[in-house]
Amino acid sequence: MAWNEPGGNGNGQDPWGGGDKRNDKGNRGNDQGPPDLDEALRKLQDRLNDLFGGSGKKSGGGGGGSSPAGGSSAFIWVVLAVAVLAWGGMGFYTVDQQERGVVLTLGKYSETVNPGLQWNPPLIDEVSIVNTTRVRSHDHQALMLTEDENIVDVAVTAQYVVADPKAYELSVRDPDGSLSNAAESALRHVVGSSEMHSILTEGRETLAIQVQERLQRYMSDYNTGISITQVNIKNAQAPSQVQDAFDDVIKAREDEQRVKNEAQSYANGVVPEARGKAQRMLEEASAYREQVVSKAEGESKRFTALLTEYEKAPDVTRERLYLDTMQEVLAKNAKVLIDVEGGNNMMYLPVDKLIQNNGSRQPAVTSGNLRLDDQSLRSVTNQVVDQIRQSQATTRREGRQ
Amino acid sequence: MSTKALFSIILAGVIILVASKSVYIVKETERAVKLQFGEIVEPDIKPGLSFKIPFVNTIRKFDGRVLTLDSRPQAFLTIEKKRLIVDAFLKWKINSVETYYTATSGDEFRAADLLSARVENELRNQFGARTLNEVVSGERDEVMTEVIRRLNEVASKELGVSIIDVRVKRVELPPEVSNSVYERMRTEREREARELRSRGFELAEGIRADADRQKTVLVAEAYRESEGLRGEGDASAAAIYANAYSKDSEFYSFTRSLKAYTEAFSGNGDVMLLKPDSEFFKYLSNSAGAEK
Repeated sequence: MAWNEPGGNGNGQDPWGGGDKRNDKGNRGNDQGPPDLDEALRKLQDRLNDLFGGSGKKSGGGGGGSSPAGGSSAFIWVVLAVAVLAWGGMGFYTVDQQERGVVLTLGKYSETVNPGLQWNPPLIDEVSIVNTTRVRSHDHQALMLTEDENIVDVAVTAQYVVADPKAYELSVRDPDGSLSNAAESALRHVVGSSEMHSILTEGRETLAIQVQERLQRYMSDYNTGISITQVNIKNAQAPSQVQDAFDDVIKAREDEQRVKNEAQSYANGVVPEARGKAQRMLEEASAYREQVVSKAEGESKRFTALLTEYEKAPDVTRERLYLDTMQEVLAKNAKVLIDVEGGNNMMYLPVDKLIQNNGSRQPAVTSGNLRLDDQSLRSVTNQVVDQIRQSQATTRREGRQ
Repeated sequence: MSTKALFSIILAGVIILVASKSVYIVKETERAVKLQFGEIVEPDIKPGLSFKIPFVNTIRKFDGRVLTLDSRPQAFLTIEKKRLIVDAFLKWKINSVETYYTATSGDEFRAADLLSARVENELRNQFGARTLNEVVSGERDEVMTEVIRRLNEVASKELGVSIIDVRVKRVELPPEVSNSVYERMRTEREREARELRSRGFELAEGIRADADRQKTVLVAEAYRESEGLRGEGDASAAAIYANAYSKDSEFYSFTRSLKAYTEAFSGNGDVMLLKPDSEFFKYLSNSAGAEK
């Protein structure tokens, strides 16, 4: 550039660019070639000075406008100075905290520059800025074979940073592409060495670690300068073709648990209930025991007390007790006195029924002698039968009450 | 005078042209050879700025970085004649620039072509000597190490490149086989699901039966205990009764009978058929109570 500007020599440079297929920077590097640049510049200036100054003098100020030779020379100096300054200014660049610059001096690696304001001679040095802290990530998802010849669907994310910017820039063509290939290979390798069950369940963690180790090893083998920070197994599942069958297994597992819980809840209901029942039986038996014993004691006591008195006056007491009891018994019941010797007692049974079913509660016949002729007996019997039939339904109902 | 100026300009141009033709830069990422009329005179030029004789020497530069050869997926057969779709990639770099230039005239595509045929051949050999399971899981590393070793021997000598790595990406069953794999996986899952459900029922039935057993046992034990208690009570009561009543057993039967009468005829509308000659009625027809 510096050379182009003064004399419009850019015209002369185009053919070089066209003629030489080498890249632009290399070309310029050639021009800038010699290390002692200042000297070269000075020579060039001298030559240009001769050239322009000479022509200026010869043409009588025609070439450089109306300025005299001295003025033209000064103008060229100014142009050159500006050009040099511009060239120098172009050499400044900043490297961010996240970045490192890989510097090639005339194509050869010279240094890796740190963050801050940096200066390298432009066109001689070529700087590639590489972000070394940004975490890049690579996603990969695919169906793959497992060790037990099943097929699983695994999605993985590899996160990585550029740990060695020099290697990243210089030693591998397309390091990110290499990572992508290597990640797929590493993932499939590890998955292919694992059983499906472990991939889908508790083996994910190990899977991620193994993929990371393997991937890191590949990256180091290729000298990509990439450092794998993390590998996450985002998703590991059965392929969609069999997903429903896998889901059904999960459902079955839940069903198993559910049925067990139901049975457990049944057991939890039944056993305590039985325990309660058993407790009740025991309590009732205890109560019975206490009851009969107490009753026995009470009755014994009563008997003993009575016996004491009885022994004092046996006949009177005996008589009294008998009469008391009979009175009580007879007072409560209907009575039929039969003053017939050898009478057929069976004949009187319908009378009992009549009395009973009349429900009158009143002793129907209390007279001393009751005699029934055959006819009245028959009519009574019929009445009884009717009554019974009529009232049977109601009696049953009442009977239940 | 203007001709002199013109001449100067042309001279300057020529000098610059010659100078530019006599220097060249080999970048850090490149490997280069210097040819003199087609003959290699400098086989491995260091990175940086170097000189050459214009129009006599020509420089050929090649990419010196690690390159990737990603071959197309191929179908390979394993030893059990199972067909596998295999997708591999190869990492290589120029080892000897001279050999490389000689073998490929520096054409990367040509090199890749040659390599790819060899890789495919090697992989085919290795896969053909192993079972599916071995190539998928067990011996993947061994297969690759073997392929790399054998390739390296040839590639280094014939192509001037070194094989850094050969890796298999995809190893897949062809689609029609995949479908039967899916079918198998499905039936396996179905089996597992059924097993789980049945096991659930089994356990549940066990739990229920156990509960029922506990219930029966509890009730039976309680029955045993309670009968024991009742028996105890009965025994104690019997002893107490016997103790009391044996003092006068005749009187006991008397009072007990009276009590029984009271309770038996407790007024439920019983009808008593009585003969007036009973003990109770002894005064009913005869105030003297004469004995019959």
